Amino acid sequence: MTAERLRAYFPILTLVALVILVGTFDTSFLRIENLMQLASDVTTLFVMALGITFVIYIGSIDLSAQSLASMTTVIVSSAIPVIGAAAVPLALLIGAGFGAVSGLIAVKTKIPTFIATLATAGIAYSIAQYVSGQKGLSIDVSLRESWLGWSFGNIGPVPKEIIVAGALLVVATIVERRTVAGRIFKAIGAGEAGAISSGIQVERFKIAAFAISGALAAMSGLMLAARLSGGSPTAADQFLLPAIVAVLVGGTPLTGGVGGVVNTMVGALIVAVTRASMVYLSIPAQGQQIFFGCVLIVAIALTIDRRKVRTVK
Amino acid sequence: MLELKEVDKSFPGVHALKKVNFNIAHGEIVGLVGENGAGKSTLMKLLYGQYQHDRGEIIVNGKSVRFENPRQATELGIGMVFQEQSLIGNLSVMENIFLGQEHAFVRAGIVNWRAMANAARKQLAKVMLDIDPKRTAETLSFVQRQMVELAKVLTLEERVKGDLVILLDEPTSVLSRSEVNLLFSLIRNLRSRASFVFVSHRLDEVLEISDRLYIMKDGEVVDILKSSEAVVESIQHKMVGRLINREFYRESKQEPFNPNLRLLRAQDMSLTGHYEKISFDLHAGEVLALVGTDGSGREEIMRSAFGLEPLTSGDISTGEDEITKHTAAESVRLHMGYVPRERKIEGIISGLNIFENMTLGNIKHYSRWGFLCISSERALAAEWIKKLSIKTPSEFADCGNLSGGNQQKVVLAKWRIAGSRVILLDHPTRGLDIGAKEDVYDMVREMCADGCGILLIADTLEEAIGLSHTIMVIKDGRVKKTFDCAIGKPTLYDLVHHMV
Repeated sequence: MTAERLRAYFPILTLVALVILVGTFDTSFLRIENLMQLASDVTTLFVMALGITFVIYIGSIDLSAQSLASMTTVIVSSAIPVIGAAAVPLALLIGAGFGAVSGLIAVKTKIPTFIATLATAGIAYSIAQYVSGQKGLSIDVSLRESWLGWSFGNIGPVPKEIIVAGALLVVATIVERRTVAGRIFKAIGAGEAGAISSGIQVERFKIAAFAISGALAAMSGLMLAARLSGGSPTAADQFLLPAIVAVLVGGTPLTGGVGGVVNTMVGALIVAVTRASMVYLSIPAQGQQIFFGCVLIVAIALTIDRRKVRTVK
Repeated sequence: MLELKEVDKSFPGVHALKKVNFNIAHGEIVGLVGENGAGKSTLMKLLYGQYQHDRGEIIVNGKSVRFENPRQATELGIGMVFQEQSLIGNLSVMENIFLGQEHAFVRAGIVNWRAMANAARKQLAKVMLDIDPKRTAETLSFVQRQMVELAKVLTLEERVKGDLVILLDEPTSVLSRSEVNLLFSLIRNLRSRASFVFVSHRLDEVLEISDRLYIMKDGEVVDILKSSEAVVESIQHKMVGRLINREFYRESKQEPFNPNLRLLRAQDMSLTGHYEKISFDLHAGEVLALVGTDGSGREEIMRSAFGLEPLTSGDISTGEDEITKHTAAESVRLHMGYVPRERKIEGIISGLNIFENMTLGNIKHYSRWGFLCISSERALAAEWIKKLSIKTPSEFADCGNLSGGNQQKVVLAKWRIAGSRVILLDHPTRGLDIGAKEDVYDMVREMCADGCGILLIADTLEEAIGLSHTIMVIKDGRVKKTFDCAIGKPTLYDLVHHMV
């Protein structure tokens, strides 16, 4: 009972331990500006992870998030000069649409979600290749300032990325805990058969979860485009693995039903601090994926609910 | 030879076993009875190594042991025949019997199937089952599977030196009387080699087969009796801690239904391979029971009516509206509620707490603009917990941790809260103890009084007769006979006569 309860605090304890550990290596790490910088650097990843959380929460998986984010950087870079501000909602809509299509495919054809989203990821990648003409695009400085200005720079001492990500977290938390949709997501994750025979339109809500994931992937693409002041079909490569790590390390198991978006914030910060610590330990950037791959395995092993996954196929 | 000393076991929120002392001698048959949630299953699972005890001692042949898994228990000669059958459907009978023991038939990495088949025949002969060991388990009848399950455990006779302890968890619940007799004679014949722990809700059977009887209540052993000296009523009294109401099915509360208010009409429903041309009307205040053997098609009829199985042809309508979309969501919208047989999988959602489960049927009603009104949900749940005397620390308790009877109350409350008018009950008292059964019967009468119509698949024929206004006997997917209980309730014989 106590072990069970302690497990819920495991992610936050890990985070605190990591911060203290790195802090003792280098006290300048603990400076508030440094920590703020650290947090703002991880926001794009976090926003993507936030979306993936909803999908994992219902017991599915979304592998298309990184390709959607890359595609978004390309779309927004080429659309802003033409349609200006409308590029932002357009990109979000396209992301949500892609997510909804992934969900629709999975629900109607019963294709496992990891395959369905892998397929849509391929489509998104190709679209990005076509639109960009297979090269990097850049956004004009003034256009970036006027239409994407909300996601970079500072308000006082606080980076706007943090404010945007924080606002999204608040909204996501409310959706998860205070809305009918959030309750139903939880029900689907905890026991889909029970949800179906309670008369819940499970398919509809599954599609919705994927749409949210797609929209937030697009959002992270927008923030990335603002950061890079441009886009490319590979802009968000290397995001998917740490984003999924953030969700799982945060305490939302692959089997769904428990955890949630606040956990993902903790998970994203763990990823950020771990990355920073790798700099201190002078682990080359190429090696990071090895590390995250290992962490992913450990995190899944620790968090998965084996009552739901009795056998591995 | 097997002894438990002061064994304690807790789960989150439940103290399942409290300082339990238990022993079984060589060749002894010990009965274990108690209401659901009394701790019988937990005790069995501890003996079988599926759970580990928190405190106390398990002693086998004088040595203190701690089983980390069932395999370790089997190695000491402890085997279990499961209540929920554990055979793997797509494997053959012999592969099931020797699952995990294939090495005995392997030479140079190749399985000698012929040798395995012969060995399997020998095991099957022990349970007097004359079937081809190469048949896949899913082609067997329920009873045959139960016997194979026993044969599988009996392989311990050859594998383990010394005495065996065989745990039988509700082995007779699906058996006919003659099959029960066969099982009992098998058990008696095996006494030279094995002792048995026998768990059952059927007290007469427990008394018939066992030498001694342990009575459990709320995780404690409340009495140990010699079976020859035991009296059914006093055991029941000790199990529930109160006298059983003689008016078990609440028949005095059965009122005539309202024939002018039709709630559900099925016309020529058919599902290829399961049932054909089923028609019935369900009225306000009526209990309509579908009676038949397993596999007669009655479960599918109910699941189709609720939209969980498709229809090949035919129509279903509620009151005036024809149901065009056959989905559970549409059925719930039209005020139907389904209490499934698989309570833990389809009934409650474990991982959700009590109030979250209770409002799931009409969650929209407990929200405004898509936002939940959690305080009103909680108040509502607290009210129902009190009304149905659900045993739980609070409305925040995970439904997965409740006992079967309390889980069932949550499911019933869910549909009452959703305002369901047509309630489909599929084995509503399956696996429940007497007290919880009575509570369910009370709720059935109450729902009828409130003008609900109930379509029932009863756990026993007595239950169907006791509760119903109308009984439809289904055989091979067709209505064989309909009994109007207002004229006079049919007897068991009347029903069985048409069932088989």
